[in-house]
Amino acid sequence: MMKVTKILSVAATMLAVAPIAAQAEDTIKIGFVGAFTGALAPYDQPTLQGVQLAVDQINKAGGIDGKFKIELITRDMRSETAQSAVMTQEVIDQQVNVLLSPCDVDPSVAAGQIAQAAQIPTIAPCASTPTLPGIVGDYMFANYTADNLQATALAYFAQKQGYKNALILLSRDTPYTEKLPLYFAKAFENKGGKIAGTVEFKMGQQDFSAEVTKIKGISPAPDVIMTAAYEPDFPAFIKQLRSAGIKTPVLGSDGIDSPTTLGLGEVAEGVVFSNAGYPSEGSSLAKFNADFKAFFKQDPSAVYTATGYDVIKVIEAAIKADGDKLDGPSIRDAIDNLENVQVATGTITYKGMNRVPLRVVALNRIVNGQKTHVEDIVPNGADVPPAE
Amino acid sequence: MALLDIERLTVRYGAIQAVQDAGLSVAQGEIVTLLGANGAGKSSLLNACMGLVPLAGGEVHFDGHLISAERTEAIVRRGMTLTPEGRRVFPSLTVQENLEIGAAASRDLRQKSKMQREEMYALFPRLKERFQQLAGTLSGGEQQMLAIARSLMSEPRLLLLDEPSLGLAPNIVDQIFDIIASLRRRGVTILLVEQNAELALDVADRGYVLASGRVVLSGKPAELRSAGLERVYLGAA
Amino acid sequence: MEFFLQQFLNALALGGTYALLGLGLAVVFSVLGLINFAHGELMTLTGYGIFYALLFGVPYPLALIIGVVLATGAAILMERVAFRPVRNSSGTTMLLTSFAVSTILHILFQNLISARPKAIAVPNSLTGAVAIADMQIGVIQLLSILVTAVSLLALTLFLRRSLLGIAMRAAAEDFNVARLMGVNANLVISTAFGISGVLAGIAGILWLFQRGSVDPLMGFLPVLKAFIAVVLGGLGSLSGAVIGGFILGFIEVGLRAYLPDGVLAYRDAISLTLVILVLFFWPQGIVARREAVR
Ligand SMILES: Nc1ncnc2c1ncn2[C@@H]1O[C@H](COP(=O)(O)OP(=O)(O)OP(=O)(O)O)[C@@H](O)[C@H]1O
Ligand SMILES: [Mg+2]
Repeated sequence: MMKVTKILSVAATMLAVAPIAAQAEDTIKIGFVGAFTGALAPYDQPTLQGVQLAVDQINKAGGIDGKFKIELITRDMRSETAQSAVMTQEVIDQQVNVLLSPCDVDPSVAAGQIAQAAQIPTIAPCASTPTLPGIVGDYMFANYTADNLQATALAYFAQKQGYKNALILLSRDTPYTEKLPLYFAKAFENKGGKIAGTVEFKMGQQDFSAEVTKIKGISPAPDVIMTAAYEPDFPAFIKQLRSAGIKTPVLGSDGIDSPTTLGLGEVAEGVVFSNAGYPSEGSSLAKFNADFKAFFKQDPSAVYTATGYDVIKVIEAAIKADGDKLDGPSIRDAIDNLENVQVATGTITYKGMNRVPLRVVALNRIVNGQKTHVEDIVPNGADVPPAE
Repeated sequence: MALLDIERLTVRYGAIQAVQDAGLSVAQGEIVTLLGANGAGKSSLLNACMGLVPLAGGEVHFDGHLISAERTEAIVRRGMTLTPEGRRVFPSLTVQENLEIGAAASRDLRQKSKMQREEMYALFPRLKERFQQLAGTLSGGEQQMLAIARSLMSEPRLLLLDEPSLGLAPNIVDQIFDIIASLRRRGVTILLVEQNAELALDVADRGYVLASGRVVLSGKPAELRSAGLERVYLGAA
Repeated sequence: MEFFLQQFLNALALGGTYALLGLGLAVVFSVLGLINFAHGELMTLTGYGIFYALLFGVPYPLALIIGVVLATGAAILMERVAFRPVRNSSGTTMLLTSFAVSTILHILFQNLISARPKAIAVPNSLTGAVAIADMQIGVIQLLSILVTAVSLLALTLFLRRSLLGIAMRAAAEDFNVARLMGVNANLVISTAFGISGVLAGIAGILWLFQRGSVDPLMGFLPVLKAFIAVVLGGLGSLSGAVIGGFILGFIEVGLRAYLPDGVLAYRDAISLTLVILVLFFWPQGIVARREAVR
């Protein structure tokens, strides 16, 4: 009997306290509807770690602007678009001030549309399709390096290397694997390059022999092969390409920024790829990586940890900028006007970018199984092919 | 004590009562026949003894052991097996392989299995000529011989035979019954289920008649015949 | 001609991997009537086994063996823990159980290991190519063809020559009668799962050699392909699964090689249509049809 009374009284206290805490002025609620299990988990799990680190740092320092403690509310949408909508409704019912959406376009659209109707600013931490904010509306922001931005940086590089003919390898299975090479082709052609051929693949096909045999037959032989294929397709492709005796340089995108690529050995030597930042000594990314290791007792598993951290820094900057207002329209406007915000991966600018931020694109080259820095590029907005 | 003792055996398939409170026993060295019309529950009773269908009630003792809860393969190891209705040889295995499987129960070396196989070939010369043939390509009579030979490979003390004459030409049926007679001379105890009541009663020492899952008559062949078998069992020739 | 020969070898290598996968599914289906959708997770386990073995400094060949052994043990355990309790239930129950096992393993991999792929370095000696006449054949592809041939031969010998192998074929045709012969049902089923584990492990290694990493969802696609191979060849027929695997390999490579660029996007739709066409003419699958004619 004693026990029951005790439990009841504890429960009663909790019930009494909860609404007060929720309404407390010194809290900002950030909802993260992410894919913590399922096919998108490889992106959203690291993103969540970065988010958690930023929240911890800010709260330990007394909150945003020394006032607002961040309360993070997470929901797993299990990589299912329908669940994304359901979970978004759930966090909106808990009155979040800002929403973070899953790591892909479709579930981000599902989440964004609900949040748009409720006038809650939503940021997609790592969806990279540049059309996303346009599809959803003025409360939806991208955070990650957009596909067209990345493609432009790669095209700059290809041109500088003196490549004349490029071959693109694409898959129509996702916007990323299809559009990124097409953006590259456009940017490359704008700079005077030629597309020698387009070869298509199917994601997860594992066997690239037919495609490689085709590439072998293309004349004139391309000077460079560009693709946005990633694991497990990229490793299979490059192995079979090299084992067929084709030595053409290969350009890749941030999808191959993973230990797997570095572990490929000889076949991956010399591959150049773009990503959201390179942790050169003294850089903000290097500091982030060190902080991350100190906090989680492990190295970051992917750059999504850093870009996840970035989102919280963006929110922090927006609230500082709007004079500590927490309502949706104020935060939205503030984000839309941010310029050169210092984040883990470098700086980020939303002003004049239609909610798809301008940020640094880092180029990396694989040398002896290690990632080495080639250069950082911030493309000229005029060279970036329009989102489509 | 009888070799096989079945008490108040009941088998159900959902709502269908296939066997009800059936009792039956077979003594060492006997040939006992179990007669009954189509659907009377004969196969169900044999399958239940072998653990192939679950019992809804009753007990089965073999050689003094309660076997009602044992797994089929364990019962086979005890020395009782069933040649199922419809022959059911393994069609894509060769004759030889079918026989080898028959000896799966004996943990002995393959040498022994080989000796037994030779014995079976002596008993069924037609099988020997076709030992490399796929069992599915044998004639119906040959398949029945193979099915019996296969069962004998485990050297059973008690063989349950479910309608060995089913669908066979009269001369083949005669051959099968010759084999049954020779098996008894070898000391194999047999519980024989048959539609062909006349032939079965000719070889049997005793018989039971099953109707709608119940044992309605039992006794020596002469007693069964005089009790007006035809009345309860319309399948008699 | 050279292009054709090259693509032919490509198809042979891919079809071989599908054949091994399909065979793994078919072995279990033949004795239990279950399509084990957790089969792909056995491949994934092989990957993690190799990954951790290498992490602990185990020599490469030994790590591969550990991977296969792990998949085999897991397959046997899976049967013991998950499928035996529902063995006598309906086919649907067993199928759902296999989905559940697969999902549970996904979640365990994602939460206990990592949602991110784990890199498995492939020795440089395997990434080269061998020149035959004017053609280049990747070492991995050659290995796939070779390993497939050896595995098929070994399995055939086991099924033809050993008593347990014959018992498995018998059980596949008529489980109850096999038991009447004293064949131990549990042993046969465990063996079937064990074999499927070995095959999943071997196919997993070939798959891993191509992709260079293991991630929690790695097994999903291969098991789908294997399923198509099995249906194509005829459910329950072992030789059918092998033939189905090769046919699928040839269809896929053939379409990729010869389809004009504009329709390439519909490749999978076309290859599935071809599969359906085959099933239209042989509803029971290619091999089962022949057996039924007998
Ligand atoms: N697996 C089963 N599921 C449902 N009902 C069954 C099953 N097997 C048999 N039955 C039913 O049980 C009853 C007894 O069948 P059983 O096969 O035992 O008869 P039987 O005496 O062997 O007949 P027959 O002489 O035709 O072989 C029948 O009504 C049959 O329809
Ligand atoms: Mg019957």
